[in-house]
Amino acid sequence: MELGWNIFPYIALVVVALSLSGALLSISTKEHKGKGAIVLSALGVFVMACFIAMLWQTLDRPPLRTMGETRLWYSFFLLLAGLFTYIRWRYRWIMSFSTMLATVFIIINIARPEIHDETLMPALQSGWFVPHVAVYMFSYALLGCATLLAVWSIFRPDSRTDDAIDRLLYGGIAFFTIGMLTGSLWAKEAWGAYWSWDAKEAWAAATWGLYLLAIHLPGRLNRVRYGVIIVAFLALQMCWWGVNYLPSAQTSEHTYTQSRE
Amino acid sequence: MREERNIAPLLLGALLIASLLLDWSALVFPIDIFRFPVNILSMALWLAVTIELYRKREKWAASRFMLSGSATTLSFVAMVGLGIVFGIQLTPATTSYTAIIATLFLMTHLLLVTLRGWRNVRGIRWRFVVNHLGLLIAIGAAFWGAPDREELRAVVEYDKVTTEAYDSNGAMRVLDKEMQLEDFEVEYYDNGTPERYEARVRIGEEQATIRVNKPYNISFSESAYLVSYDTQSPDECRYCIVEVVREPWRYAIVSGIVLMLVGAVMMFLGGTTRKKS
Repeated sequence: MELGWNIFPYIALVVVALSLSGALLSISTKEHKGKGAIVLSALGVFVMACFIAMLWQTLDRPPLRTMGETRLWYSFFLLLAGLFTYIRWRYRWIMSFSTMLATVFIIINIARPEIHDETLMPALQSGWFVPHVAVYMFSYALLGCATLLAVWSIFRPDSRTDDAIDRLLYGGIAFFTIGMLTGSLWAKEAWGAYWSWDAKEAWAAATWGLYLLAIHLPGRLNRVRYGVIIVAFLALQMCWWGVNYLPSAQTSEHTYTQSRE
Repeated sequence: MREERNIAPLLLGALLIASLLLDWSALVFPIDIFRFPVNILSMALWLAVTIELYRKREKWAASRFMLSGSATTLSFVAMVGLGIVFGIQLTPATTSYTAIIATLFLMTHLLLVTLRGWRNVRGIRWRFVVNHLGLLIAIGAAFWGAPDREELRAVVEYDKVTTEAYDSNGAMRVLDKEMQLEDFEVEYYDNGTPERYEARVRIGEEQATIRVNKPYNISFSESAYLVSYDTQSPDECRYCIVEVVREPWRYAIVSGIVLMLVGAVMMFLGGTTRKKS
């Protein structure tokens, strides 16, 4: 049996089991005794990283082309961001949330994999491809964690969580900005225009604007700010995959996900 | 004083409504009349007005409004609004009155807050300057440079020298340098999908190899891109489509992008500047 996408359900089972055990342990463990939780979750991240590396090898191209492939990276970075947030700030429930969200994307990938073949169209054969998409996926994961905390804070606001939201938000926006700018430099190289208000670019601008609004809004424990973060995350979903369902996507230069007829 | 304070947002609201009406009536902004040197003169006028607004920040209500938190919120709301509208339906941003008004507002606010906040009692705020100035330069260069930007497509053939190209409106233009196809190669994956295609084109006296993601720089402001080829008979390709992009402001845009990249890295390393709990 060739090792490739076909073994993903088994890998997913191991990753979810490890991450979930780590998350449950983190909830039930006192703040200064989270080593077991960290080790289990780190193992989950490691197994996922090994699978991505193996898939890269099997496909003989970066597995970043289709929606299914980007979901794979998103699940990976989400688990990584949750683990990092736990190690750094010891929020006991963050890994439960990030594992839950990552599991949703893993299940979607099992049900609808959208992993095709080794083909990589000429437009994607660029040095910008891997950094552009990987940086975006990492930012989506950080912003996903910030959103989970914002939802929590709407009901139970506290200063410590507010600090964590800020840190995740600044990191997430920094990477989102880098993703957007590397994309514009690549677009100039590929199509001759840094920015053309293509449907995907337009939603990226809307998402970026909402996140910038969130970091410019004054005041701590500001529920309006939490609301903006949640709306921004919804806009981010439009930018990432929702845009494919809009009529404007038909003429988008960013559509690489259709399989060949 | 109260009435005076309300003039700026009222004026802005009126401008916005007028621009929405113009867009709704499908009137296209006459971007061509802003070609060089009119765009330079317009930019100089805008700079003078904005600097004057900054100088009178203590006196003028319009300046106070443009430097307020409400103006910041409004700038982002405008950006989000434009993103959603352009994300749902494709409208050229360079010919939309609303997009032009919103961009001018954003640039004016950005320049004013940059002038106000570039330093504090502890010295120069590098991260603030790099992020805000970078965005201002990138947007400003794209905005003021848009009238000078041209995309000209030419059919380049083996047995014919051409200087004819067509702009996005279908109008014929004459290129500065003649072009002729000298060689074309295409490779396929096993399933028939093109893996790589490459054209060798003579541009003037130079021989250029062009493929997707590898344009050829004709001059400081011009690059040639391989857009398409004879897909009907790819093995005996008779022609390819080359797009010549003229963008004299491109290095100004790049400098803004580079500043923003530095700003993003500083933002990640420095983290939040909000007061900790």
